[in-house]
Amino acid sequence: MAPIVFWIFVILMLGFGLSVIVSRNPVTSALSLVVSFIALAALYVSLGAFFIGVIQILVYAGAVMVLFLFIIMLLDLRVEIRKRMNLPAVSGGTIVIILFIKILFDVCYSFNGGHAEFPAVSVATHGDVWTIGTMIFRYYNLPLQIVGTLILVASIGVVILSKRELK
Amino acid sequence: MSFPPALLELLVLCLGLALLLVESFTEKQDRTLLAYIGMVGLGVIFLILQLLPPGPTGMASYVFDPVAIFFKKFVVLTTIIVLIMSVDYATTIQRFVPGISSQAGLGEFFAIPILTCAGMMWMASAIDFILIFVSLELVTISFYVLVAFMRRNASSLEAGVKYLILSAFSTGFFAYGAAWIFGVTGNTNLVRIQQVLPALGAENYSAILFGALLVLVGLGFKIAAAPFQFWVPDVYQGAPTPITAFLSVGSKAVGFIVLLRVVQAFQSLPPVGDKVVAALIILAAATLIYGNLAALPQTNLKRLLAYSSIGHAGYLLMAVAGISARDSGQAVVIYLAAYLLMTLLSFLILIIVSNYADGDEIVNFNGLSQRSPLLAFGLLVAMMSLAGVPFTAGFLGKFLVFKVAYESQQFVLLALGIITVGCGFYYYLKVVRAMYWQSAASNGATIPVSGLSFATIVLLVLFTFLLGIFPQMATGLLR
Repeated sequence: MAPIVFWIFVILMLGFGLSVIVSRNPVTSALSLVVSFIALAALYVSLGAFFIGVIQILVYAGAVMVLFLFIIMLLDLRVEIRKRMNLPAVSGGTIVIILFIKILFDVCYSFNGGHAEFPAVSVATHGDVWTIGTMIFRYYNLPLQIVGTLILVASIGVVILSKRELK
Repeated sequence: MSFPPALLELLVLCLGLALLLVESFTEKQDRTLLAYIGMVGLGVIFLILQLLPPGPTGMASYVFDPVAIFFKKFVVLTTIIVLIMSVDYATTIQRFVPGISSQAGLGEFFAIPILTCAGMMWMASAIDFILIFVSLELVTISFYVLVAFMRRNASSLEAGVKYLILSAFSTGFFAYGAAWIFGVTGNTNLVRIQQVLPALGAENYSAILFGALLVLVGLGFKIAAAPFQFWVPDVYQGAPTPITAFLSVGSKAVGFIVLLRVVQAFQSLPPVGDKVVAALIILAAATLIYGNLAALPQTNLKRLLAYSSIGHAGYLLMAVAGISARDSGQAVVIYLAAYLLMTLLSFLILIIVSNYADGDEIVNFNGLSQRSPLLAFGLLVAMMSLAGVPFTAGFLGKFLVFKVAYESQQFVLLALGIITVGCGFYYYLKVVRAMYWQSAASNGATIPVSGLSFATIVLLVLFTFLLGIFPQMATGLLR
């Protein structure tokens, strides 16, 4: 992919990501997150990971974000009240972020592997769904089962924490 | 014996699921029965663990070595004692959970810790970042539910939200770090990473170090090391007390086993390994100072124990930082064994006393020695052991940690450790003073103790002394 397209999507993703945090209206935040996810999906596709790109749109931009919006509108959340800035916390946080970004840049520039050619994500004979499927079900089956348990615990937790009257 | 070790977690998982099913299909059954079934089931698992020899498992991401066996026994035992505490704590839970029947929600409160236990057992064996990550998440997500369990109690909900946000944040660091390490080495398996690292060129060192430090930040949150300890006091104080005990013993222990395995893997590349150790030394020093100094002014025993748990993470980090010494891993193991005994003992007595006095301030313990001599003696032993008085398990743990620090030439840490032990004496003995030297408040009656809790207290006190007087017992922990 041409670098120019890469940069367009990166700027879209980061810009709307910033807007998620900065905007005070929860609906604006949620919709910005959708755009950010779509730009991220475009980046996945540009790396040849078509399946992950599609899943990103279907699951995150589709299901999860619609749920978010639904809940925000259901609860009728208003614009967030402006709080007084806690100066030590904000300045401390800014210093940490600046240092972190500086380290990240240093590491990225000195890191040689970043410029190397990586093998393609999808195998030409099978496609990337096949690759991911084999990986998950053959080599990472135990973690998959644990994720199942995790989802079970999470759903029990949701019932416990939200049901009006427990039996 | 051909019992596949990986079956153990599945058995624990089935036990938890069975309890949930029993819970949903019985109506009139007394819910505390579920807790007793859970204890017996986990007891059987503990016996099987006692009999199984370490050996190959045939899986690349899952090991069954003596360290894994020790930590599995550790978390199973912790879960059993947490269930014993939960039975005592049931009345408080009922007060804060909205329900139609009187025992609403109790079944889940007894079953979820067993599922958490399965996650912790997986973590004890995991040597692959993916397996570590998913089992860590299983543990964390079940803790989100357990911490916020008392829905009608504002401080429990606040604790739940704080734990959710900060824990998710730290998980992000862990995943990002693991991704960097995968990007450089092409592996998520710690054994493979250890083999691949020495062959890497010097241009990759900063990337590897960056990944390792991010993983360290993620794990620092889990083990409550300073400067990643901000969540600890509020979450520990707001959560239901048995869950606080579970967090401070179980969650911390499995954090340490992952930390040990990750730090060990990076030792094969000295230019990076040495810097990781340097970071650990800074973490250990900050944790020791913060945990022990902030504990000094506390007047609430639950909060005091939260700060004390930060302080103990500092001593444990001292042992991990001395990874170059031969006995580093052993010191961590023995310290954790002692920590289990004394911390669970203090939480168990805290629950019994605060149920009766309706508060967990140190003032509530005034004159306990006249009201209930056994509870007072039990808490005395726990506090002595936490402070590190000789002939208790806590002393043995601290002694071994200091020995490791001396052998690996960490003299600054050693000096800090000795000074902070002095601080520890002050705040732990504050509780002892309240129990033995202050006169009791108006209600001076004896506090009722259930038979099971009584037996547990006696056993924990006994083992605290046994481990302190016969240190050779401790070496048997790692066959």
